[in-house]
Amino acid sequence: MGLSSMRKESLPIERSRLGAFTRRAKAVLKEVFSNNKLKVGFIMLVVIALMGVVGRRMLPYDPLAAGIFMIDQPPNPKHILGTDSLGRDIFAQLLLGIENSLTIGFIVAIIGTVVGSTIGFVAGYYGGIVDAVLRSITDIFLVIPMLPLLILISSFVRVVDIWMMAMILSIFAWAWPARQIRAQVLSLKERDFVYMAKLSGMGSMEIIFIELMPHMFQWMGANFFNSVVWAILTEAGVEFLGLGPQNTMTLGMILYWAMYHAAVFRGMWWWWVPPIIMIVLIAVSLYLIHIGLDEIVNPRLRRL
Amino acid sequence: MHPYVRYLLGRLATYAGVVFFAILINFIIPRMIPGDPIKMILGKLLLQGTKVGGEELVEAYKRMFGLEGDIWTQFVCYLRELLRGNLGYSIANFPATVMELIHMALPWTIGLLSVTVVLAWIIGSILGALAGWKGAESKVWGYVAPFALVFSIIPYYMFAVILVFLLAYLIPIFPMSGAYSIGMIPSLSWSFIVDVIRHSILPALSILITSLGWWFLSMRSLIIMIKGEDYILMAEAKGLKEKTILWSYAFRNAMLPQTTGLTLALGNIVGGALLTEIVFAYPGMGWLLYNAITSLDYPVIQGVVLIIILAVCTATFIIDMIYPFIDPRIRYGAE
Repeated sequence: MGLSSMRKESLPIERSRLGAFTRRAKAVLKEVFSNNKLKVGFIMLVVIALMGVVGRRMLPYDPLAAGIFMIDQPPNPKHILGTDSLGRDIFAQLLLGIENSLTIGFIVAIIGTVVGSTIGFVAGYYGGIVDAVLRSITDIFLVIPMLPLLILISSFVRVVDIWMMAMILSIFAWAWPARQIRAQVLSLKERDFVYMAKLSGMGSMEIIFIELMPHMFQWMGANFFNSVVWAILTEAGVEFLGLGPQNTMTLGMILYWAMYHAAVFRGMWWWWVPPIIMIVLIAVSLYLIHIGLDEIVNPRLRRL
Repeated sequence: MHPYVRYLLGRLATYAGVVFFAILINFIIPRMIPGDPIKMILGKLLLQGTKVGGEELVEAYKRMFGLEGDIWTQFVCYLRELLRGNLGYSIANFPATVMELIHMALPWTIGLLSVTVVLAWIIGSILGALAGWKGAESKVWGYVAPFALVFSIIPYYMFAVILVFLLAYLIPIFPMSGAYSIGMIPSLSWSFIVDVIRHSILPALSILITSLGWWFLSMRSLIIMIKGEDYILMAEAKGLKEKTILWSYAFRNAMLPQTTGLTLALGNIVGGALLTEIVFAYPGMGWLLYNAITSLDYPVIQGVVLIIILAVCTATFIIDMIYPFIDPRIRYGAE
């Protein structure tokens, strides 16, 4: 069941759009919740996000103000993850970091997916010279070592807040989705329903948005979560060099400050272990969602 | 045109595009930010209290940036200096040029990376093939996969931090930082080589183990996919030995996407390895970059980034040159 029945339902002959749509949405939802990887990943992500967004507002400590508490305290009942060398509560930093890192990840992924999908759709659908030009540019962005360039850009452009960080990362976030979507469009555009649509007089944009797009939502979804993982890990890499947002705290910046104050060589494990574990947990949860969605789109992968 | 030549020209065009794009960014970014780069450098010099050579540096810098004339003359100037191998002077270590600093750092990075990347790729592919092939029957490989997943996700430098803490701080088996002990004079003596190897084990391990996980997982899923192909069934029906089917049929076909994966991942691997060097204060390109960032040594940042991108492109191009010998379709020009 699943994919094949969904494809049939979306044939253009069926014009009662709303009914078809709700039925298909139900089928997708059913499939989504029967996939274990997707379920586990989703629950992990929701719990972590709630910790960040809600938890940080419930904790009375200011994660950024220095010199309030005694410095270098190991975990104790008052500060469950201790304090850093500037006397800031590390658990409060961690919660703020979760929120900011996730925010950056999702902004970058949204921009990357929208821009990348558009480029992929246009390149794949129009073909010819448009495709050749767009594909060469995409190839360049795929091969180029991004981290060094990101480091270059963010060392000149002083990154002050999470929005700026997200904008800089977005420069490189579109290439992978564009390539994936283009390949999918190439295989889809020769299908009969696209010819039908052309015959019935639909324009290119109409065909892209009404006929092709619905088939790509799951693909785009799987790609989207891949982009979020990429963005959060890359962001942490740039921040590890101290090039992250200066006026707030992200998971990568906590790690940077821990390294800056040589926490590893002073045995202050409570400073650098939590951000690492949190980044890995976030990445694993997003990755599970990504594989889960991939399995739904591409049932052949399910045997893995 | 011979298909091999056509293929290589196509790849060459992509890398030329990459290098050009990198040079373009290198050229534009310093001009886009508000403020005069030369004033910025002068201010920096005054901060350090440097007086000697200040004038000379500013002159060289003006020539380097070619700050006279319109943007096109500036760009031509910039390209000319780059072609001469002139990346300008370092601000933090003034009389030294950027090229000299890179010249000292590059061998360490290349040495560390070439060994670990190739080893991880080969070992990961072989283990992944075994895991994918035996997957359903043996329990052991089933337990390995989740570990490989975590290792493939955790960034190199974070794993490096964990390794330093465990094997250099808690149980001090390995040195904490550097590429050789302080006081040692670099030479080709036996004791120096042993010292260098001892210092490189932790950085190498952190890159090796994390990238191993990635190659393991991708090879494993490729083999599982290939296992369902008809030609495998055919080979089994012909009565070929299982070993032959795995290594000459399944593995060989899986090596194609695996090699493409390597060319795509190389840039990321190098980027991650740069950060790993920082954890160990390993005197390669990453450490040079880090020091340049902390001392706002912009010419060095630019030079290092450019050289890294050139190096990655060269390495990827070499792999691309070998690729047709694994994939006959490109050698003979079939689609």
